[in-house]
Amino acid sequence: MFKKNFRQDNATAYTMLLPILVLLTVFVVIPFVYAIRVSFYNWSFYQDSTFVGFRNFYLVLTDRLFGKSVWIGIKFALMVVPTTLILAFLFANVVKNISPKLSGFVKTSIYIPTIISGIVASVIFVFIYDYTGGLANYVLGLFGQEPKAWLAEVGSALPSIAAPAVWLGFGLTALIMLAGLHDIPESYYEAADLEGAGAFQKMWYITIPLMRNVILYLLVTGFTAQISQYELSLVMTNGGPLNETTTPNLYIFLHFRNDVMVGNSIAASLLLFVVLGGISAIIFRVLNSEKAVDG
Amino acid sequence: MRNRGLLTRAVLAVVGAAVAVVALFPLLWVVIAGFKGKTEVLATPFKFFPKQWLVENYTDILGDPLFRKTMLVTFGGAILFAVLALFVNASAAYVFARLEFRFKRILWVYVIMTMFIPGMAILLTSFIVVNKLGMLDTLAVLVLPGVASAGSMFFIRQFYLNIPLALEEAALIDGAGRFRIFTGIFVPMSFPVFVIVGIGAYLGYWNSFVWPTMTITNPNLFQIMQYLYNFRSERSSEMGMLMAGSALAAAPTLVLFLVFQKYIISGIKISGLK
Repeated sequence: MFKKNFRQDNATAYTMLLPILVLLTVFVVIPFVYAIRVSFYNWSFYQDSTFVGFRNFYLVLTDRLFGKSVWIGIKFALMVVPTTLILAFLFANVVKNISPKLSGFVKTSIYIPTIISGIVASVIFVFIYDYTGGLANYVLGLFGQEPKAWLAEVGSALPSIAAPAVWLGFGLTALIMLAGLHDIPESYYEAADLEGAGAFQKMWYITIPLMRNVILYLLVTGFTAQISQYELSLVMTNGGPLNETTTPNLYIFLHFRNDVMVGNSIAASLLLFVVLGGISAIIFRVLNSEKAVDG
Repeated sequence: MRNRGLLTRAVLAVVGAAVAVVALFPLLWVVIAGFKGKTEVLATPFKFFPKQWLVENYTDILGDPLFRKTMLVTFGGAILFAVLALFVNASAAYVFARLEFRFKRILWVYVIMTMFIPGMAILLTSFIVVNKLGMLDTLAVLVLPGVASAGSMFFIRQFYLNIPLALEEAALIDGAGRFRIFTGIFVPMSFPVFVIVGIGAYLGYWNSFVWPTMTITNPNLFQIMQYLYNFRSERSSEMGMLMAGSALAAAPTLVLFLVFQKYIISGIKISGLK
């Protein structure tokens, strides 16, 4: 792979790697090792810590609220990811077939929400869901429905937070899908046209099979990203009503903020790490092995 | 080759444009709500446009010295952050892409491994570390912890792997050092990838909220998202101003994006599947 490099460049290499190694060690690796240690201790800001073995993990795994938060995280991801993917897929097919001038404008517009912060998005959507003067209830009113307390009702709170998540994630997903669509050779469709295939058949037999990897990638990364979401519920509902919007990360974050004992929350975050970190490590391996060359 | 009817094309164009408008709608609404009177933002029935276009909300929030300062400090921090991130991650990317040295494999695994540690797992212990280092309430605590990023490094390295070896061979034969080759050949060629990584870093800094709220209590170093969040809880009746502030907080990012959109949108292609 590096045949051309006939000499070793130890000194230069170490000098140029020094910044990244120091920074990662101080701000990622040490906190991580420290977190592992703390998870085995009865640790708090105010007293000496004592070793408690796996007790923190036991406490977390038997905490009903943690179990619930994991379930909420899964529900949230199941609301956001398939919706985003289906909308983005359909939309990418639309954009591919419109004139380049218009598609430039469309691509820019749908990408803009992606650069908006979760905080600004939350502020916007809290106003949209406002009981008396919000857009959502105005639209309900047009259909003759009673107004709804979107963020305060158990049934509607989580879907109401899923909507801005879809809004924030839609643009990038659609553009990645579009890039995938452009990679499918046009000749496949031409051949299908000659055989007299309809639009639906072309999508089912050509587009979807060839997009399988892109879709799979978006599905998995989308799922890990959405299950880790917590800024939206932190700002919009603070986890309520009745913890219905407390995602796993929000559960952990609220514990950091309110508890004296932090061993539990750290144990919880490490458990999550094992699952989510494991998933992303697998994706990375798969992608890196196939795509490294033309990546 | 495709014999699409004119009608189909027209329908697709309309659908495309409609989705674009829907995607932009919440943002447009904020900008416009910023021109509304105090009680008008959430007036019933819902109205998109204000009865009267008032500029007070915008002038009031811009008149708040803390808001101006926060915007400036956050902007400066974000630029510094992006520049440092490019420097640190690009030099590492170059080393891993081109140089041979001892322990390369181990160091590579060490760096890449950090990509899979979720932020939440180290949020609290990072706080303890920066506290022990005496970094609380300094610019350093906002900037330094996120600068090194295995993900950005990896992304830049992928780009460097595709630069033909022939380009640097002549320079090597002429006896140019590896560092010279990096600054003289690689950096100038990196513009498209630097735009993507740099804007990504800028966005991450500008939009960050949780970390600043944990580490910054000195108003002189407040970050913009922190300001908006505090504004929302402390001055909740000033809705028009909050809308104006949110719109202004999104503005620098938007300008940056529109300037570089060509690179960002084509970058989605460079990254291929990723």
